[in-house]
Amino acid sequence: MRVIIVGAGEVGYHIAKKLSDEKRDVVLIDKDPGKIRRINENLDVQAFLGSGTSPKMLRQAGIQDAQLLVAATDMDEVNLIACLLARNLNRYAVKIARVRNQEYLQEKSLFSKDLLGVDLIINTQSMMVETILNLMDIPGASEVIDFLGGAVKLVSFLIFEDSPLAGKKLSELSNQEGKLLVGAIVRGHKILIPNGNDTIQPMDLVYFVIKKSELDQTLSRLHMPAKPMRNVIIVGAGGTGMAVAKALDQRRLNVKLIDQDGAKCKEANRLLEKVVVIKGDGGDRDLLIEENARAMDMLIAVTDDEESNVLISLLAKELGTARTITRVSKLSYMHVVSNVGLDTVINPRMAAVRAILQYIRRGKIISVAPLREEQAEAIEAEALETSDIVNVPLSKVDFPPGAIIGAILRGDAIVIPTGSTVVLPHDHLIIFAVQKVINKVEKLLTVKLEYF
Amino acid sequence: MKTGLIVYMIALLVFYLGVSMFLPLFVALVYQDGSAFAFFVSILIACCLGGVVYLFTRGQKDFHLTHRDGLAIVTFGWIAAGFIGTLPYLLSGSIPDFTMAYFESVSGFTTTGASILKDVQHLPPAVLFWRAQTQWMGGMGIIVLSIAILPFLGIGGMELYKAETPSPVVDKLTPRISSTAKLLWKIYIFLTLFLIILLLLGGMPLYDSICHSFAAMPTGGFSTKNVSVGYYQSSYIDYVILLFMFIAGVNFSLHYKLVSGHPKQFFRDPEFRVYLYITVIAILVVSANIYGTVYPRIQDALRYASFQVVSIMTTTGFVTADFEQWPVFSQLILFVFMFLGGMAGSTAGGIKIMRIILLVKHCYLEIFRIIHPHATTMVKLGRTPVSQTIMRSIWGFFILYLVIFMIGAIALAALGLDIISALTAMATCLGNVGPGLGSVGPMDNYSVIPVTGQWILIVSMLLGRLEIYTIIVLLMPAFWRK
Repeated sequence: MRVIIVGAGEVGYHIAKKLSDEKRDVVLIDKDPGKIRRINENLDVQAFLGSGTSPKMLRQAGIQDAQLLVAATDMDEVNLIACLLARNLNRYAVKIARVRNQEYLQEKSLFSKDLLGVDLIINTQSMMVETILNLMDIPGASEVIDFLGGAVKLVSFLIFEDSPLAGKKLSELSNQEGKLLVGAIVRGHKILIPNGNDTIQPMDLVYFVIKKSELDQTLSRLHMPAKPMRNVIIVGAGGTGMAVAKALDQRRLNVKLIDQDGAKCKEANRLLEKVVVIKGDGGDRDLLIEENARAMDMLIAVTDDEESNVLISLLAKELGTARTITRVSKLSYMHVVSNVGLDTVINPRMAAVRAILQYIRRGKIISVAPLREEQAEAIEAEALETSDIVNVPLSKVDFPPGAIIGAILRGDAIVIPTGSTVVLPHDHLIIFAVQKVINKVEKLLTVKLEYF
Repeated sequence: MKTGLIVYMIALLVFYLGVSMFLPLFVALVYQDGSAFAFFVSILIACCLGGVVYLFTRGQKDFHLTHRDGLAIVTFGWIAAGFIGTLPYLLSGSIPDFTMAYFESVSGFTTTGASILKDVQHLPPAVLFWRAQTQWMGGMGIIVLSIAILPFLGIGGMELYKAETPSPVVDKLTPRISSTAKLLWKIYIFLTLFLIILLLLGGMPLYDSICHSFAAMPTGGFSTKNVSVGYYQSSYIDYVILLFMFIAGVNFSLHYKLVSGHPKQFFRDPEFRVYLYITVIAILVVSANIYGTVYPRIQDALRYASFQVVSIMTTTGFVTADFEQWPVFSQLILFVFMFLGGMAGSTAGGIKIMRIILLVKHCYLEIFRIIHPHATTMVKLGRTPVSQTIMRSIWGFFILYLVIFMIGAIALAALGLDIISALTAMATCLGNVGPGLGSVGPMDNYSVIPVTGQWILIVSMLLGRLEIYTIIVLLMPAFWRK
């Protein structure tokens, strides 16, 4: 599979890394010689110096044989033109464009097959807003990923020393306290696909599979009861901050929005009804104390400056804010930031990578979520009648090590599989797999006929 | 520095070199030349050594090679390959002296083709086959071969590839490095097979055809005959080998473009044009010079001039005529050509045409700037601008090349060589050519060089093949600092 990526920014870089790790042929185009050098040093992809809006360049990159074009530069116009050109050079390639401008997004029909030929539009901002709202529903969660249209959630928690789960074996968990399904554990830099013998250690990030209807029950078992959210501070009235504020404006919440920029504050004031808009520095300790950060249930740091976001969140934690959501764009910071004790870190690039992966894997696989630093994935897939895994006990299935079926969704029920469980056709499976074996898992899920 | 990973990679390389000796073992069994046992033991030693070290260092999880790891693997890999290459020579008794065996082995892997053997024709065919095979493997690169074969070398592969491929600018032909390496090897194998068939059609025996093809495609130069290709006395064979030496001196990415349906790029390539022009002009000049003085017939003058010029320029080192008998003018042209080499990205050695073009252009621009002090200038190759970083690295390479050449030649002179032998031996080994002039001329060999001198030449062959920087950075203390 040949993939052309235009733009070697964070999004382009990480999609390229991800896909080349999966042994796909990736070609990257960027204008910046420095970025091209970095790519050549770190990734096994072919990097061209040039413009993604040049037909000659696209031809040189092999657009004729490409199955996918991802336009992921910071400029909407460049991305759209790249897709437009790609459509004319190869009408069968799937085109994905990253678009930021909200105005473009509202005019959906413009992007349809007839005019620009974009198959998927990725807007990190709206993804961010969705993620933030989702996270507000489950306090304490580091990450919430929806499967089966939200009926099942993959929720990750950072386990602290005082957590009742710390030091427990996974097999003990399910016996003592009913079904509690752990799909993956992130420990330091490593991601484990656990079996019953693994123990949960403090500072692990643990991914649980939870049914939406059992959410409250499960949370209380984890000693993380859903405390109703009342007071929220949003720092940063940029695109994301404003969108979150607007969404929360409808709810019965006490929301404060802080921004340094007077013009932005005025604009926010005009658009919002109940939200209190405060002009000031979110990193100002006195201001936070004045606005009663101590009693706040949540602080959402979404300024454009990621370093400030981290420090503001830490400041809020120190002042006594219960929870923080921090936006960090650089993927290389993600790991460090959770280590300093910030529970929830969101990353727009990761969201974009996820959406693109989902699109690439579609067909056999319904949904996919890269977990922490992309070393593993949670995959939702339908068990096809003709694939190798149905109608045999799981112990007989040649499942690659490093992958497990975390849960089987049969109709309304969640089945937690054991060796003797038999997967039936049309079951939905949630599979956890480390990077290395994803190709194998994909093959396993494929219809056998494809190989004739 | 990931010492474990470096050792692991070299162990794998040693193991596979052992495996590759099954080919000469087969030849030994066919010819019943008495060297089968030597090859059998060599395989055993290489595979055991590689295998045991492999077992101790396996379980490498992180294959992400840094730039430094790549340089270390390539350099030590080549040194190790040289040692493994000596085993058949030593064990079969063909070359009993270790230094000489190592010289022959390194000369093979680096595709130099300089030999310490006085009489090759009485050696077992299998040993000569191994000699040719080392050249063939070394030509496209033993490390590039491992990138093609070993599936786990993704990102790290690029570092290795850059460290081994002789070229100032390394292009990837395909998105993935392993497929680029595979592609290069496929083209290489195809051309070699083609040459074997053409030689067979010319009446050369199968064994000779394979050995000569294995020496011509990597621009190596080991022959199975004492008088090299001149033995066959056939103008057909001369011209076929000449053509393939020329082809081997062309950038392999251009061959790829030819195969993948862009033949125009071949002739549009500025480096190829210069390569072609230089070759043609030199052939004409040398022919004119030796016509009448050495050869009374014009076709003989052309035939011998063209073969010798292409052989030296592509750093192959096959000979069909004793050019020491030629006028000094022609000899000097050949001497200068020992420095030129073929195109970047080919199997040829030397400084490479691309570097020469860019250096000349740079010099021209400096002069131009004296005339137009305010002009904006930029070195370009064809239409592509060449960055300052690349220009700096080329100047550095050029200076280092000359400095190493001079130091080596002076050292050889200190060991008692005459001026012509010292200069040409050093030039020919650093450029991976083979024959020099004087006591190391086309009809002589390197056994007359004292042991210390042989080691100097071994080091220069490695320096020349890995393009100096790769090895020389390992000598810098800063390289080893954490």
